[in-house]
Amino acid sequence: MTKWLVFLLAAGLAAGCLASARLDGGGDEQAKTRRGRLRALGLGVALLVIAVCVIRFLRAQSRPVAHARGSSFALSATSSSSATLWLVLAILAAGVLVALRWRRALWIVSAALMAAAGYGFVRARDYGNAALYNTVFHAAQPMAVAIPRIVNTAGRAPSPAHRLALSVTLKHATVGFSLPVLSSVVPANNVMSYLVLPLTYAALLLGGWLAWRALDGRSAAVRLVVGKMAEAKKQGRHWGILLLPAAIVTAELLAPNIWFGPGAANIGWTVALVGGTLLLIRRWPVVAAWLATAGLAALGLAGLYLAGSWDSGRWPLPLTPDGSVFYGAVDVSSHAMIYPATVQAVALIALACWLVPRTMPATLRLLGTGSQAELATRVRRLAESRAAAADTAAADLRRLERDLHDGAQARLIALGMNLRAVERLIPTKPEAALALVAEARETSARALTELRELVRGVHPPVLADRGLADAVRALALDCPLRVETDIDLPGRPPAPVETACYFAVAEILTNAAKHSGAREAKVAVSHAEGMLRIAVTDFGVGGADPANGTGLAGVERRLATFDGILAVSSPVGGPSIVVLEVPCALSSPKISSC
Amino acid sequence: MRVVVAEDLFLLRNGLVRLLEAHGFEIAAAVDSAPDLLQALLQDEPDVAIIDVRLPPTFTDDGLRAALEARRAVPGLPVLVLSQYVEQLYARELLAGDAGAVGYLLKDRVFNDDQFVDAVRSVASGGTVMDSEVVAKLLGRRSREETLARLSAREREVLELMAEGRSNSAIAQRLFITEKAVSKHSTSIFAKLDLVPSDDDNRRVLAVLAYLNG
Repeated sequence: MTKWLVFLLAAGLAAGCLASARLDGGGDEQAKTRRGRLRALGLGVALLVIAVCVIRFLRAQSRPVAHARGSSFALSATSSSSATLWLVLAILAAGVLVALRWRRALWIVSAALMAAAGYGFVRARDYGNAALYNTVFHAAQPMAVAIPRIVNTAGRAPSPAHRLALSVTLKHATVGFSLPVLSSVVPANNVMSYLVLPLTYAALLLGGWLAWRALDGRSAAVRLVVGKMAEAKKQGRHWGILLLPAAIVTAELLAPNIWFGPGAANIGWTVALVGGTLLLIRRWPVVAAWLATAGLAALGLAGLYLAGSWDSGRWPLPLTPDGSVFYGAVDVSSHAMIYPATVQAVALIALACWLVPRTMPATLRLLGTGSQAELATRVRRLAESRAAAADTAAADLRRLERDLHDGAQARLIALGMNLRAVERLIPTKPEAALALVAEARETSARALTELRELVRGVHPPVLADRGLADAVRALALDCPLRVETDIDLPGRPPAPVETACYFAVAEILTNAAKHSGAREAKVAVSHAEGMLRIAVTDFGVGGADPANGTGLAGVERRLATFDGILAVSSPVGGPSIVVLEVPCALSSPKISSC
Repeated sequence: MRVVVAEDLFLLRNGLVRLLEAHGFEIAAAVDSAPDLLQALLQDEPDVAIIDVRLPPTFTDDGLRAALEARRAVPGLPVLVLSQYVEQLYARELLAGDAGAVGYLLKDRVFNDDQFVDAVRSVASGGTVMDSEVVAKLLGRRSREETLARLSAREREVLELMAEGRSNSAIAQRLFITEKAVSKHSTSIFAKLDLVPSDDDNRRVLAVLAYLNG
């Protein structure tokens, strides 16, 4: 047996060296470095391990006697030359694969790990036949240590620490390769067999992680998933994904004889469980996150109860055929196993506690009650917008006062003085009086013009007369640009909202006319689901930035008073789109006016 | 000439009535609300109506709406609408239908009683009178366009006065040029704007306004 072991190690190293030699002059940029060569070597070894495991598995299946003994290294148990042939072929295949398609090799390793994990779930039920899956899972164990280190070195600058890590990796790969060989001589139901379930989970995670790394940044699917995850994370809904492991572990615990076993019914149940859970996570992420938190806490408590009740045999749920309980990664089959079970239970409860503040705000939002933090944010925002509204109102009043004082008021004083002069002049110099009267008329006309402008700035008459729809149409007509309007308002928004929106559109159109260089613009006004939405588009040069001008920022502040928002999209080269949304209800249906 | 006056402010209503009577108009009715106005327009059949846009009962654009309704019932009913402010939107609504016999002026224009009375007579005889502010906005809006840029400065002035609804003689007087020169300019304007020339003053005004509104 030692002879074979040495042979296999030498062959694995040879395959790795072959791969690195090939890669040294090869096309893959990453593989030219020392790190790349080492990674290729590690991958080659991993592939070889997989090949050996597959060969052993197939041979064990075809030879029940060897399988029943379960204690001999398959290759050494046979004297036939076909085994040696298979082995040589495997070494060559691994070497060639790593040399030419190392990324595909990574794929194969990850796929093998996940397949092994799936097989592990199945075999864990038939605990008596541990030898076979021992082989599979103990092969996965060294890879669990070695592969991440190999892959992790990608994309980083080499350093002494790195070199150390790589040498450790090599050692692990070597030792790891010998482990399945050693473990296969250990009889089933020994202490190693307790590692079955943990190894299954580890293999699943590692396989998934490797697959992820193999895809990394290359596939549109990955970018899509990453994007979706980031979006969900921003909205605090990504914790829902934890429902999947929680559901699987719960199902395992509740009905160990049904789940994950062979047979159509069992596979059906498993598919239904996983599919249903995924659907729930996708469709109602908030509910899923809440359920995951609650489920993890419940699982933790169940674990504590399991540990407490194991010795007295009061555990109420069904056992596996071997008389054990699958509790997540721990297979509780004896008194000794209640300790890891307790550790896992405490870890689960801690995880649930950690999750509560992260998932509950979303849940509370769903239930319609705000959390303290949310209320605080809302209060702060209201205080800010109220202060801004008060400031704006005060500034508007000051401006009004100043305009009246310098404008109409001053002109009326001049008018009065003129009239007094006319009074005095009429008896003596009627011609001069006549000239003064003409002047007085001129002054009153100017005062009127100024008052009209003032009124328009305070509250446009057309807005008072006709409401927002026609007021926006009037704005469009007054604008120097050719403005198309698309207005669909079945009623009138509250007066303050109308006024704010009117001035917002006026400001945006004025900006467009001044800066965009556009000849045409479009204003769309609509109301749906309690939200008034106005979009102003100009087909100009773009590049508008709300941070630059005070105009748009002022509009934003004004809208904030009504919880309204303003969004600007203005790429250089145009078109510029300014969208404002204000939550409000519409009052009485529109009265048709011609 | 029989006139209906609709104005809710007593002082202004009285002032208007006095001004019109001084210029030889006969006041058929002087009303202070939209329903009364509508009744007066439909029953008294005046030669022209002078209407404030903002009237009771809602103090919004009741006057304008009453005028438009009356014109729907009696097409071509001459109305001169007065307002504290002018809106192109309202100007469009008044001009819609191409019937003529409408006017839309700022209240300030009452100060110059001669011009105001001219406007009233012009509307009564089927003409169209637009406030210079409306015309200025229309021109401002189209000023970037090439067709208008082709006009000379003098032609623009003539166009502006034409759009306000002034006759050739009024334009000549205003610009201190001969009537012949005005008609030469107007021919040139119509050619440059691709409009069909017309000897009828009112048709001409409507064509120019339709072009500017377009």
